[in-house]
Amino acid sequence: MSVTLQQQRKEEPRGRLEDLRLLTGKGRYVDDLNLVGQAYMGIVRTPFAHAKIKGIDLSKAQASPDFVAALTGDDLVKMGVGMIPQNDWPPPQRPTTTYHLAVGKVRFAGEPVAAVLSRTKNAVEDLVELVDVDYEPLPAVTSIEESKKGKALIFEDWGDNVVQRDETKWGDAEKAIASAPYVVKAREGIARQHAAPMEPHSTLVQYKEKDDVYEVCATVQSVHGLRRQLASTLQLPPAKFHVKVMDVGGGFGSKGAHAYPEPPLACIFSRMTGLPVKWTATRTEEFLEAAAGRDEYCDITLACNGDGRIVALKADLECDVGVTGTQSFMSSLSVWTMLHYEIPNVEVHLAVYATNKMPVGPVRGAGAPEGCYFIERAMNKMADKMKIDPLDLRKRNLAPRKPEEANDIKLIDSLVSRSRYEELLRWKRDVNSRFKLQGPTHSSLVAGLGVSFGGRRSFGGDEDEGEEGGSGAGPWSSDGDSAQGQGKESEEGKDWSKDQDESDEGGSSSWKDESEEDELEWESEYARVSLGQNGRVTVYTGSSPHGQGIETTFAQLASEELDVQLDMVKVVWGDSVLVPKGIGTFASRSAVTGGSSVVDACRKLKGQLIARVSELAGTKAETFAITDGRLVDTSRPSGTYPTVSEALKRLGVSEISAESTYKGSSLTYSSGVHVCALTLDAELGTAKIVKYVLVEDCGRMINRQIVEGQLEGGVVHAVGGSLFEKLAYDEHGNLLTSTFVDYGIPTAMDSPDVEVFHEVTPSSALNGAKGVGESGTIVGYAAVMNALNDALSFIRPGAHVDIAPATPDSILAALHHSNKP
Amino acid sequence: MIPKKFDYRAPSSVSEAIALLGENEGAKVLAGGQSLLPMMKLRLAAPSVIVDISALPGLSYIEDKGDYLAVGALTTHDSIESDRLIKERFALITDAVSGIGDQQVRNLGTIGGSACHADPAGDLPTALLVADAQFVIEGRTGRRVVRAREFFLDFFTTAVGRDEMLTEVRLPNLPRGSASAYTKHAVRHEGLAIAMVGVALTFDNRNMCSEARIGVGAAGPTPLRVPSAEEYLTGKVVDEAAMSEVAARAAQEADPPQDVHGSREYRLGVIEALTKSSLRLARERAGMQGGR
Amino acid sequence: MAEKKDLARRAQGQLKVTMKVNGKEYTREVEPRTLLVNFLREELNLTGTHVGCDTGHCGACTVMMNGRTVKSCMVLAVQASNAEILTVEGLARRDGSLHPIQKAFTQNHGLQCGFCTPGVLISALFLLQRNPRPTEEEIRRGIEGNLCRCTGYVNIVKSVRAAAEAMSGGNAMTEKEMR
Repeated sequence: MSVTLQQQRKEEPRGRLEDLRLLTGKGRYVDDLNLVGQAYMGIVRTPFAHAKIKGIDLSKAQASPDFVAALTGDDLVKMGVGMIPQNDWPPPQRPTTTYHLAVGKVRFAGEPVAAVLSRTKNAVEDLVELVDVDYEPLPAVTSIEESKKGKALIFEDWGDNVVQRDETKWGDAEKAIASAPYVVKAREGIARQHAAPMEPHSTLVQYKEKDDVYEVCATVQSVHGLRRQLASTLQLPPAKFHVKVMDVGGGFGSKGAHAYPEPPLACIFSRMTGLPVKWTATRTEEFLEAAAGRDEYCDITLACNGDGRIVALKADLECDVGVTGTQSFMSSLSVWTMLHYEIPNVEVHLAVYATNKMPVGPVRGAGAPEGCYFIERAMNKMADKMKIDPLDLRKRNLAPRKPEEANDIKLIDSLVSRSRYEELLRWKRDVNSRFKLQGPTHSSLVAGLGVSFGGRRSFGGDEDEGEEGGSGAGPWSSDGDSAQGQGKESEEGKDWSKDQDESDEGGSSSWKDESEEDELEWESEYARVSLGQNGRVTVYTGSSPHGQGIETTFAQLASEELDVQLDMVKVVWGDSVLVPKGIGTFASRSAVTGGSSVVDACRKLKGQLIARVSELAGTKAETFAITDGRLVDTSRPSGTYPTVSEALKRLGVSEISAESTYKGSSLTYSSGVHVCALTLDAELGTAKIVKYVLVEDCGRMINRQIVEGQLEGGVVHAVGGSLFEKLAYDEHGNLLTSTFVDYGIPTAMDSPDVEVFHEVTPSSALNGAKGVGESGTIVGYAAVMNALNDALSFIRPGAHVDIAPATPDSILAALHHSNKP
Repeated sequence: MIPKKFDYRAPSSVSEAIALLGENEGAKVLAGGQSLLPMMKLRLAAPSVIVDISALPGLSYIEDKGDYLAVGALTTHDSIESDRLIKERFALITDAVSGIGDQQVRNLGTIGGSACHADPAGDLPTALLVADAQFVIEGRTGRRVVRAREFFLDFFTTAVGRDEMLTEVRLPNLPRGSASAYTKHAVRHEGLAIAMVGVALTFDNRNMCSEARIGVGAAGPTPLRVPSAEEYLTGKVVDEAAMSEVAARAAQEADPPQDVHGSREYRLGVIEALTKSSLRLARERAGMQGGR
Repeated sequence: MAEKKDLARRAQGQLKVTMKVNGKEYTREVEPRTLLVNFLREELNLTGTHVGCDTGHCGACTVMMNGRTVKSCMVLAVQASNAEILTVEGLARRDGSLHPIQKAFTQNHGLQCGFCTPGVLISALFLLQRNPRPTEEEIRRGIEGNLCRCTGYVNIVKSVRAAAEAMSGGNAMTEKEMR
C-alpha cells in the first residue's frame, strides 16, 4: 500500500538527460526532420466564422509550377474519409465531429476548407492564396448569449447549440442560503485563452508503398492517440500507422486530446503522390486552429454560518466550447474542482454551448483552474465579508482527508511561515498607508495580497478505496459512475444519449479499433523494461514528454529499482512500434501513472530474473536481491555474485524484459496553497507581482528540480491568464488576437519570481508520486485575482474585477464605477 | 510567414538607391527590416522590389555639428541607446529607443526606418516630433530638409517621396536650461503601446517654464503636439497643479482609438498619467525641486 | 558592417549568398524572400534555431549576426551576405565540451521543452558579453525578446546568473546585490 523505497535513494541528478541535445541544437522536433523530395502542405482556411461554401476554384493554384496536388472536403467524402470525432465522452456530452476539410459550410474562422501541396516551402502560401473559395456569409455566433438565443445553429440537426447540460446536487442549497447569515455572490469567469506552446503543430508523413505503411511524425502528446485517430478516420488498422515523435516543444494540452485534420490530410497526400509530406503551422494558424482553453463563466453564491463554515454553494456555470466539445467534459472537471471543501448543500448547473469559434480543449488544468478560481475567489469575498483571515477561512472548511493522503492544514501553516505572511501583511499596510497619505500624485501604487488553495484528485493510486468519501470524488472514480458518494446525482443527457459502454467512462473514444489488444484503459499506462547482457536498461513508455523531463524521471526510477547507474538507462518513447500501446502525457499523469508503470515493470523484471537465477542455483527466489548491479543470495552474505550481465549470460539469454499496464485503482490527492503579493498602479491599472510563494504537496518528488520547474511555469501560465491573455473576437467572429503582440503571453519582464516549498505525503502509487504538471496553473489564477481585487477594494471598497484577464481597462473601469465588464 | 516574391537589389550608393526607387513603382526601402519584414511576412505588405540599403556605407553616425546632432539614418536604436551625447542633450530620445521592442529589434532597427515607417504608435516618431527634428531627404534633384511637423503626414505616411530616401535626422539643440523625457505605456512588455508622451521643457532662472513642448503618440494618425498645453505651461512653475492641467489638455487634444487592447477612455486616462510622468521626469532632470 | 559583395544576378530568380556560420563558410543559392532562419534550417541543416511565430516576437530564432543578436526570421538570407553568424550549434567548444552558459542551464534546469532555449542561450551570451554582472532586472530585460511558456523564466534567470558567475570567475553579483 504505502510506498517502499527499496534501495537508498540515489543522489538526484542535477541536469537532465535530455538537456545535452536540447542545449546544443541537436533536438529533433518534427519541423527539424526532412525527407528527400518532400512536398509541403498548405491549408486554405476560411476568413469567415460562419458561411456556406458555394464553390472552390482550384484552377489558378493548379496552373502554378509549384502545384503538386489539392484536396477539398468533397474529395474526402468521395474517398470515404470520415469526420473526426471530437467529443466522444459519455453522456451527458453531446458528441461532436469536425471535418478535416469543411463540407457545405464553415463554422469557425480559420477552419480548413482545402489543402494544397507545394513543391517548395517558400511557395506554400502563394498556392494557398491562389485557391478561390466562394463564401456566403451567415450570422456568426460569437458569444454564449448569442448561442443561447440561437442567433444561428452551429449544428443544424441539433435544433439548438447546447453541447451539454448537467446538474450536481445534494442537500438543499436554496434553503440553506436563505437562512445563512453570510452570503456572497459573484459573476466570475476566465476568458478564452491560447495554450501557446512555443512550437507550432507540425507533421511529416511518408507513405511507404512497399510495406503499405504510413510513417507519421507529428507534434503530439500521445503517439497512440494519433494512431487511433488515423485508424478511425482513414479506416485502416492501427498497425498501418507507425507514429513517431521525439522532441515536442510544449503542448499544455493543445497537442493532446483534440484531433487535428493535418496529420490525416498529410497521410492522404502522401498516399496520393508517393511523396513525403510536411506541414508546419504558422503561429497565426496556431491561434486560429489549436484547441484553446477556458472561456467559462460562473454565477456563484456561497453561504457560510457564523463559524465561517460553508453551508451552501450554488453555481451556474456556462462554457463556450466553440465548434467542438472536447472541453465539455473538462467543464465537469471544473465542477468537481470547485468542491474541494466540505459543503453540505450543493447545487451546480452546468451548461456548455457551441459557438462559431475554434474548438476548446483541455488546456493546462483542463477545467480545474476555472473551478478552483470560481470557489477561491468567492472564498476571499467571504473572508472579506466576515472580516476573517482568508487562510483561516480555508482551514475551517477543508474536506477531511486521511492523514496518509494529505495534511492540508499543515500546508496552509507552512505557507504562513514560508512566505512570512505576517511580514507581507505589514508590507501591504505600509504601502497602502503611504498611498492614502500621499495620494496618487506621489505614488499611485497600492498593494494587494491574495491567497488560494487547490486540492485535486487524479489518477494513479494503488489502493482499494471503494466508495469515495467526501466531496471531490468527481468523475474519476474507478467504478465508472460519473457521480458518486453522499447521494450526488448527475442528470444524464436525455435527448441524445447514445449507447455507451460504461467502462469507457472517462476515456476511450470512438477511435477505438476493432482489435482491442493494444487498447489501454484511461487510468493506465504502459511500460516495458528490458535489461541486456551489457547491463544496459531500456525503458519503453507510453508516456510522451513535451518538457516535463520524463526521460530523466523515468530513468531515475529504473535506476533506483534496478540499482543501476543512471547513465546505463535509456528511455524510449514516442514510437508506436517500439512502444506498442500507451495513453500519453496530459492530466498530470505521467510521473504518477507512467512512472508507476515503469516501477511495476522493473519489479516484474527483477522478479523474473531472480526467479530464473534462483531456479538455476536451486535456491529460493526470496533470498535473492539485486544490489549494486549484482545478484546477491542474501542467505549467504559472503561469496562472489554474478553481475546482472553475467547472470544473463549464464542463463543463456541476451535480454530479459517485463511489461506493465499499471492501472491506478484509486485516486491520488494533491494540493497546494499559494500567496501572491502585488502592487497595483491606480493610474495606469497595471499590476506588478512582487512576491509569489507556494507550498505544494505532490507526493514524493522523484526529481525536485523538475517538479519545481513545473510549478513555476504553471504559476506564470496563470499570471498570463489572470492579467494579460484573451482571445478576442469582433462581432463577425474574426479573431483579433492572432500574434504574440496582440495576445499577451508574458515576457520575462512581466513575470514574477516564484518561490516553491513542499510538504511531502507520498501517495499510494508505486512511486509515491502525485500529479504536479498542472497544479501551479490550477491554483494560480485565484491567487493573482484575489491579490488584485484586494488592492482594488482598498482604493474603492466594492470595486472588483472577477473576470480574468483583469486588464488595466477593466481595472480602471471598476475603479471609476463604469459598467464595462 | 513567407513573404510574397520580390526582386532584390542591394545598391552601393545613395544615388543608386534613389535611382532604383524611381525606376520601380512597387519598390520599398529595406533598412533594419524590423518594421517592414513582419508586415511582409503577414503579407500585409508586398513590395515588388526591395531596395536593401542596410549595408550602405557612411549612413550610421552620431555627430555633433554645433547647433545640432546629426544622426545617420542607418544608426541603430542600440547605438542611439548607448550614446552619451544623445542622453545628455536629448534624454527623451534615449528614453524612446530604450523602449523599442527588445534587444534583438534594437540591434537592427534604425532611426531612419522607424521614422519612415511612421507608425503613430511607434516610439521614435513622437520623440522626434517633440525634439523638433529635421529630416534630410535626398532625391534625384538634390537634398531637402523637412521639419518634423511636416514630415509625419498620416498613418504610415511621411513626406519622403517615392523616389527619395531619408539619409539623416538632425536634432537641433534644445535651449539652455532644458530637459526632456519620454514615457510610454504598454499593458505588457512587447505589447502594443497604449500611449506615449514626450516632453521638452526649458526653465528660466526663476524656475519657471519658458518654453514647453508636449507630444502625444498613439492618439491619432500621426504623433501630435499639444499647443494648448504648451501655451498653458509657458511662464508657469511646473508644479502638480500645472501638470494636471497640462495632462488634461493633452488628453483633450488626443484622439486615441478604441480596440481590443483598450478603450478610448482608458487610453485618455493613460495619456494624462504619462503626461504627468514625463513632466515630472523632465523636471527632475532639470534639477528642479518642484513644489506640489 | 561588412560591405556586400556583388550578388550574382537572377539565375531562375535565385541569388548567390555566402556567409560564415559557426566558423565555416557556406555558399548557396536562395530566393530573395528566403528568411535567414529557413536558410540555416533547410539549406545548412542547422536545425537548432527554431521558428515559433510569424511576426518576430518569440525570439526562438535568435542568432548572432556580426556579433549582435538578431531574430533570424526577420532577416533575409541575402541580408546576411558575408556576415558571420553564430547559432546554438556553435556554442559548445570544438572538443564538445559545453559553453559555461550551456552548463549553467542544465545545472539550473533552465530549460524544459527546449524549444525557446537556443534563442535564449544566444541572447544570454550577448547580454553577458556586454554586461558581465547583470542584476535580475537586467537579465529579464536582456531576454525580454525571448518568450518561454514552460519555465516561467524563473530558472532561466537563475541559469543566466549562474553563467555570469562562472564566466566572470566568481565575480558576478551576489544574490543580495542583485535585488
